[in-house]
Amino acid sequence: MNDEGESGIISRRSWLNRLLCGLGASLIVNHRPSQAHAAEEEFASRETGPLIVRVTRPFDAETPVREFTSFLTPNHRFFVRSHFGPPPQEAVSEANWKLRVGGLVERSREFSLKDLRQMETVTITAVVQCSGNGRAFHCPKVPGVQWERGAVGNAQWTGVRLRDVLAQAGVRGDAHHVQFQGADRPVVDSVPLFVRSIPLEKALHTDTILAYEMNGRPLPLLHGAPLRAITPGWMADSCIKWLTNIIVREDEAKGYYMQTAYRVPAKPVEPGAPASGPSTPVEVMPVKSLLAAPQEGETVKLGPVTIQGVAWSGEGKVVKVEVSFDEGKTWESARLVGEDHLYAWRQWQFVWKAKTAGIFTLLCRATDAHGDVQPSTSPWNPSGFLWNGWDRVTVTVTA
Amino acid sequence: MTKARRTIIFSLVIGLMGLAVMAAAQEEDLGMVSAALAPRAEGLIIARCSVCHSADLIAQQRLPRARWGATVEKMKHWGAEISADEADLLVRYLSARYHPGAPDHLPPLDHELGKAEPLTQEPEASGPLVGVATRGADIFAHNCQACHGAGAIGGMGPKLVKNPILKHEDLFWETVLHGRGPMPAWGSALSQQDIADIHAWLLTR
Repeated sequence: MNDEGESGIISRRSWLNRLLCGLGASLIVNHRPSQAHAAEEEFASRETGPLIVRVTRPFDAETPVREFTSFLTPNHRFFVRSHFGPPPQEAVSEANWKLRVGGLVERSREFSLKDLRQMETVTITAVVQCSGNGRAFHCPKVPGVQWERGAVGNAQWTGVRLRDVLAQAGVRGDAHHVQFQGADRPVVDSVPLFVRSIPLEKALHTDTILAYEMNGRPLPLLHGAPLRAITPGWMADSCIKWLTNIIVREDEAKGYYMQTAYRVPAKPVEPGAPASGPSTPVEVMPVKSLLAAPQEGETVKLGPVTIQGVAWSGEGKVVKVEVSFDEGKTWESARLVGEDHLYAWRQWQFVWKAKTAGIFTLLCRATDAHGDVQPSTSPWNPSGFLWNGWDRVTVTVTA
Repeated sequence: MTKARRTIIFSLVIGLMGLAVMAAAQEEDLGMVSAALAPRAEGLIIARCSVCHSADLIAQQRLPRARWGATVEKMKHWGAEISADEADLLVRYLSARYHPGAPDHLPPLDHELGKAEPLTQEPEASGPLVGVATRGADIFAHNCQACHGAGAIGGMGPKLVKNPILKHEDLFWETVLHGRGPMPAWGSALSQQDIADIHAWLLTR
């Protein structure tokens, strides 16, 4: 029999992979939680505890998902991520800071913060999410900060349109990409700078802004003071913090963070395969929902339990959120509630009538206006980007 | 039909059990390797990796050997001061302790980091150490410059040229050996002679 082609081999291999991942998981389950684990759980159970720190230096931390019962994520609870940590305060002080716009423009321009404040002000409520949010759920594991659920937040961003800034410099006809660079620097000079670009079309979009305020307050240093790019609907790797240089170019930005990092394979790859072949930059956020309450491990009483969470999609609104109590065999529709903005997340609620005591796994999934449905697991990719698998919380119901 | 199905299920179960036993045995071997290499490797991580990022970033990874190899290679390429021998040791240690099958929450390392084994063995003490400034310049460039800047004029770490601590040799040694604030302990990365050489060189600046 010769009908066992590539696909037969691949599916067997992926079966083995899944089996091994399952084994790993069972080993973890059997392992007694260490002291560190207990401490982390205690840490997480505080009512309005601090962020969950993933990396101490440079500081990377995610928001506990219980915070997502509120529409806007407060600045001091908003996840923090950067490659090199913030620049020195004096480098981004109002007196020293300048935004330089150059490259394929009619005239290079410099803007002070005061110049920007005199331009037309725009406020957009938008989800900002780390491309690697949920990386820890990819199987097999991939290198990088092991984000779980909270490297995301929803905030009100105020600033100026990038297109208005570019118009003052005059974009030339041969321009196709807009490159961003911030004031943050690596400890060692031999580490590549964090330089990225977005296509001109996205840069000129009326909703792409340079923000100097976050939730009505001056942008905090950890979130990119005094100015960061906000590319609504796109992952946060385009939302460059501590922005100082904009270069209009013909091609994509050069360097590690554009040409190697923040890319996914153009075609699906076998889980565990090394990065190779054509790839595309991480851009639009896939449809995703999170379950914010009840919390993982929580004990609830028999009777009505309000399940709530948030859902968003990069392009197009969320039109449906569903919950499941039987591992996704059947789904029931939740109610979309609260404010409704294009790039913000949508809050949702479901009143669950818990009729029997026991341990239950609650799942949620969202559907957007394009008909894209949140999958049970996301396609594996070598850097673990764009995770949007069903969200999952296990609770105990007591009589 | 049912008999055949039962046989298949039976052999699947046996196969799974076999895999689990193999995984457990492998786990034990890897545990032994990582425990043996830990004192030197943890010292290396403090000296070579934590210049740019804290060690918690490393401890949360669960990667196969090939990816650890690629990661260490990438860090060398980006300027981490890792020799070929050190890279080899690091990859062996990291892939033994932080492999894909390792539990999410590993038991803490048995030793304290302060007791990490020196990377360079000390010769028997024979009289007081005399620092050699010319040697110190090179050792500084490879170990301290990333934070304290070229020529020790300061960077992420404080300026050391004409720094008062140079006059308090006991404090200088204490800081270098055991770390202070954000500065990691270098006792496991630098020999006593290295530290004396750096001190001598700093005094000439």
